[in-house]
Parts: sequence; C-alpha cells; structure tokens
Amino acid sequence: MDLSVDYVGLKLKNPLIAAAGPLTRNGAMMKKALDAGFAAVVTETIVTEVRRNVRPRLVNGAAGMGNIGLYSDFTLEEWESEIAQVKEAGGIVIANILAHTPSEMSYIARVVEKYGADAIELGVAAPHGEGLEVLSSDPDRMYGLAAATVDAVELPVIVKMSPNVTNLSKLALAVERSGASAISAIDTVRSIIGVDLETGRALLPTYGGYSGAAVRPIGLAAVATIAQTVDIQVSGIGGVENYHDALEYIMLGASTVQLLTAIVLHGYSVVPSILEGMKRWMARQGHESLSGIRGKALASLYSFEELRMEPYTARVTAHCAAQHCDACVTGCMYEAVVKDEGIYSVDKARCAGCGLCVSLCPEKCFMLEWGP
Amino acid sequence: MATIREVAKTAGVSIATVSRVFNHPETVASETREHIDRIIAELGFSPNGTARSLALNKTSIVALIIPDILNPVFPEIAKGVEDVVHRRGYSLLLCNTESDAVKENEYLAAFLGRRVDGIIIAEGLLDRKGEEQVLGKGIALVHIGRKRNDTWASSVYTDFELGGFMATRHLIEQGFKRIGIIAGPEGQAEQLDKLRGYERALSEAGLPLDPDLVSPGDCEIEGGYLGAKKLLNAASPPRAIFACNDLMAIGAMDAIKTAGLRIPNDVALVGFDNIRMSALVDPKLTTISYPAHRIGTIAARLLFDMIETGTELSEREEIYIQPELKVRRSCGHSGRLQEMFN
Repeated sequence: MDLSVDYVGLKLKNPLIAAAGPLTRNGAMMKKALDAGFAAVVTETIVTEVRRNVRPRLVNGAAGMGNIGLYSDFTLEEWESEIAQVKEAGGIVIANILAHTPSEMSYIARVVEKYGADAIELGVAAPHGEGLEVLSSDPDRMYGLAAATVDAVELPVIVKMSPNVTNLSKLALAVERSGASAISAIDTVRSIIGVDLETGRALLPTYGGYSGAAVRPIGLAAVATIAQTVDIQVSGIGGVENYHDALEYIMLGASTVQLLTAIVLHGYSVVPSILEGMKRWMARQGHESLSGIRGKALASLYSFEELRMEPYTARVTAHCAAQHCDACVTGCMYEAVVKDEGIYSVDKARCAGCGLCVSLCPEKCFMLEWGP
Repeated sequence: MATIREVAKTAGVSIATVSRVFNHPETVASETREHIDRIIAELGFSPNGTARSLALNKTSIVALIIPDILNPVFPEIAKGVEDVVHRRGYSLLLCNTESDAVKENEYLAAFLGRRVDGIIIAEGLLDRKGEEQVLGKGIALVHIGRKRNDTWASSVYTDFELGGFMATRHLIEQGFKRIGIIAGPEGQAEQLDKLRGYERALSEAGLPLDPDLVSPGDCEIEGGYLGAKKLLNAASPPRAIFACNDLMAIGAMDAIKTAGLRIPNDVALVGFDNIRMSALVDPKLTTISYPAHRIGTIAARLLFDMIETGTELSEREEIYIQPELKVRRSCGHSGRLQEMFN
C-alpha cells in the first residue's frame, strides 16, 4: 500500500499535512505533529511585525471552532531556529507567510528560504484583521503577490485561498498564471460563533474564522472548483476528522489534505487513525496508490443545466425495526412516507423523488427507483 | 580566531544550529551537540561580542536619523528598528534633524569619522553623493520614506501621493465638493507628495483647485490648529478638511470644536499616519495608515542584510508598503462599513 504523494516537488510519505495555526507555532510543536504521522507541517503565519493576540480568542461550539487569533508571535528572526529544529529532525516545513505588497512578500519569502523552508504558502486569506475584502479576493492583487514571490525564490509557492470570495475560479486562474505550484483551500470561514443570551453579548468580540467538521462541505466545493479550473495541485483543508473525510477531498482532486481543528478537539491520535483507515479502505477497494482515485469524483459533477429530469421515486426496501424513530415520516416534506400499523410505505402519487429519506433513515430502509 | 560560519561549515550544520548550541542547547540532538562542541574546541571559537567586533572591525552600533522626535510616527519607527537591533546584540544611536540639512550633515559627518556599522535615515535629505560617501566607508545605509529613483541604498518606502489621493477621494466619495487641505512644509518632499495626491483626486473628480482651500501647516499640532482656523475663516469655508498628518488633524479638531462646529456633521476631517492617538481622540480620526513600527522592523532587517553581505550595489533592496485608508468617525462616513469589518 502506497500513500506517498509528490506534492509541489516534495516527496511526502502520505498526504496529511499539519495546517498553519497555533499547533505549528514553533519547532517543538511542529516536531510533535511530524511524530504523530503528518508528512509535512505548515508554520503558523510568519509576518514582519508581530501583533499581539487578543484574549480570549477561541470558542468551541456550533459543530466547530471560532477563532479571532492572528499570526505568529515569533519574530521573523526567531523563525530561523524554529525551522532549523524541524529540518534537523528530517521534517518537511512549508512556511506560511503574509505581507501586503509584492516586495514585502518576496522579502519574507527569501528570508524563510534561507532558513531552510521547503516551500512557501501565502497566508493571504484570514477572515479577520484584514477587513471584509481579504487580500485574496482581488485577482490582480493576488496575482501581483504570488508572481513576485515565485520570482523571488527557488522554492515552490502555494497560495492559500479564502472561501469568503465570490469567484474562486477567477482567483485560481490568477494564481496559476503567476507561476505558483499549488493552491490550498480553504482558510477559515467568516463567522460569529454564537451569542450569550444571558449577557446579550457575542461570544467573541469581533467577526472571526470558523473551522471544524461543519465547514467541510464548503471546503469540498472550493477544492472541486479549483481542481476543475486549473491544472496546478490542490491541498484540501476544512473539517477533516477521519479517513473518509480525507478521501473525499482526494476524490475531488486534492493531492494533499491539511488539518488542525480535529487535532485540537480530538488529539494527535486522529493522524494515525486516518492513515490506517485510508490503507484499510484502499486495500478493500483494491487500490495500490492514491493516484488511482485522485479526482475520480470530479467526473460525477455537472453544471446545473446539464442535469436531466429523471422520474425517481422512493421505495421502502426492508421492514424497519426502529419503530420509535419515525425520522422518515417527520422529514418527508411531501407527506409521502406513511406509517400504518408499524409498516412504513411510500405513497408514489405524492413522492416528489427528493431523496431525503434515503440519507435520513438510520436503518437504510429506503432507496430511489426509476419510474413511478 | 574561528567564526561561527567556519564552525558551522566544518561541522556540516547550519549557523542557526551552532548558535543554538550556545543559547538553547536543549533543542539540539545530543549527538549533534557533542559533534559541534568538538569542532568548537578544535577551532577555538568563542561567541564573545567584544572579541568578535575587534576581529571583524565592527562596532555593533547602528544609527537612526529621524526628522522630528516629537511626531509619534518617528518614535514608533525607532521602536521597530530597536526591536530588531537589540535582538542582534547591537546598540542604537538616535538623531533628530528637524528636517534641517545642516543638522543631518553634521550627524552623518560624525558617523563617518567615528564609525557605525549602518545608518537608517527616515525622510532624509541626503543626496546620491552623500550616499556614496557613507557606502564608500563600508557603512550600510537604508532609507525610509518616499520612493527614490536615484539611490545606491536599500529602502522601505510608501507612496505619499497615493495616500493623499486616497484621503481626498474618500471625502469626495462622501459627497463633499469643497475640500480644504492643511499641507506640510513645502521643503519636505513627502508632504509635497500628499498635496499632489490631493490635487489629482480633485482634478480626476472634475472639482476646481481653489488656492483659498490650501492652508500651509508645519506638521505639528499648532500648525494644524492655525491651518484649520484659516480655512474656517475663508469667505466660503470648506465642509471637509484633509490634514497631511495626524498631529495637524488633531490641532484642526481643536480649531473646529473651538469655532462651535461639530465633526463630522459640520466639518469632516481626514488625517495621515494612523498614529495611536488617532484612535483615541474624539471623534476617532479617519486616516491613512502608515505602519511605522513595521516599517522600522523591515528597515532594520534590510540594514543587517547589508551589514552581513556588504554594501555592493547588487544587494540593495526596495520594499514597498501600501498606504491604506482607515475609516473611523471623523469623516461623515455614515455606514462606517470598513471600521466595522476591519
């Protein structure tokens, strides 16, 4: 079984990368991530000027995590020894950097190249502290920053994209045109994590970034969009908690998968468990390597107007043992699922073929069939 | 005596690793550490600062020349420079010129004689010939200020003309047609750039340039006060004012309030620099951000790059910092969208 990946010219032993954030804030933490099984680490965002992080800045809730943390609190100089520690241990380090003009961005890129980083990721997509129009929402500005960095260093350059934009395809094309080697997506989603009703206050005092399982569908859509638009590699980020989630990203075209929130909430054991799960699934399916499945699901995506009207209706396929559940009856908006003396059935005249009952039923008692 | 570079080369490790053997030995694998310790003993390396500066003919002192020590922008730059300088084990000399070419020259002449390893000069008047003298002595040189086309030195620069344009255009977008400006001293190129930006914004919007709306200032609070007073006393006073720095804007606030007028209801106001005080005054001042601390840290880094690699032409760097509009409450921007979402 071969999980290895060639990503932007780096030979990774598996597709899992520790995403930029507090868990990659220094050399010791990056080594910890590598020890857990990650093939590479992305540093916390490196900037020219350290800005103090506010307290508090993290809230767990709403099936994920809200955060208003900013960037690394290490100076540019301090990163030299942090990166060196990981390099000495044989680790692969992607330096996540942020600046607002092409000249400043390329300066930081050259410095971290000198420090021994293996690749550069432009961290231009944080949803807070940078205003509503994040740096990565303007294709021209994005192109300028990426092209200057590509020119400045020998290292591969990766651009991290925000989901808080209107046209991801346009941005992806600008990045590809700049000569960058890959796009990672998504950064966190602009959010308010909740309101404390007793005090009448928002849980965090400004708009922040949302991460965790709930953002995965947003990440999947972004990765698919990018993979369908450009030929450069994609690193999928957002809500990965298990091997199934990781393989979804890969089937939609991702070469690698990054995660952080799952490690915070569930611990480092998530990493070996994803790798084991991937291997077992691939063995069962008879896949020798990830290249056999990468992007496989993209062919199943059509534009809305290409979709055909098919006369599907639902059918109950088995007697349901979970008599207390009734999720199918409650959830059928067309009132087509009926329960009569403990027997569930579908009124074909009412069924609109929406398909919700198929995924709603925990006992998997429904299927869609062609024809009334 | 051996240098850290030679130790690193002989040991086959990076300079950072050797440095960590001295400063954070616990972060170096014990085998590597013992290996490096052996090389250090063999080569007789000592990380002693004085010994090093004697051997390398370095003073471990750099200088920062600023035009106005009372304008908070420049202490902020100095703090950024010092943050980097101190970590390198260097000391910083601070000189204040009042934008006076004679004073600036006296400081430079003193440095050429007594030796510093590098000079950072903010909004300096030094020309190319002066630069040649500095660099010719092997002293690194970095400019902070506006873009220089004719320079041998590295620089961190911003576009003051664009900043002036953005401030004025913002007021035009709020619907103001009569917009006054409190300009800086004519002899200062940075201040003149801001005035040019103001003029371009008006002309692009098809608004006339009225000399009655241009009031000279001195870049200090008093000048802002007097400048605003002059504008408000004009036959047809402006409904909005762009002050070319925050200190003058704060002085203008005083003049506007003293005249019994409200900001922004009667007179809208935009400054330049985004000094800390601009977010504390009432009403909070809309301004153009000039990230002084950050500029200081970058300038110091460029200076050390030059100190380490030499003052040859090929090594010079130019880093551009983009001016950005900070919308607060002093400009009648009713939605204040940007302020909310920043």
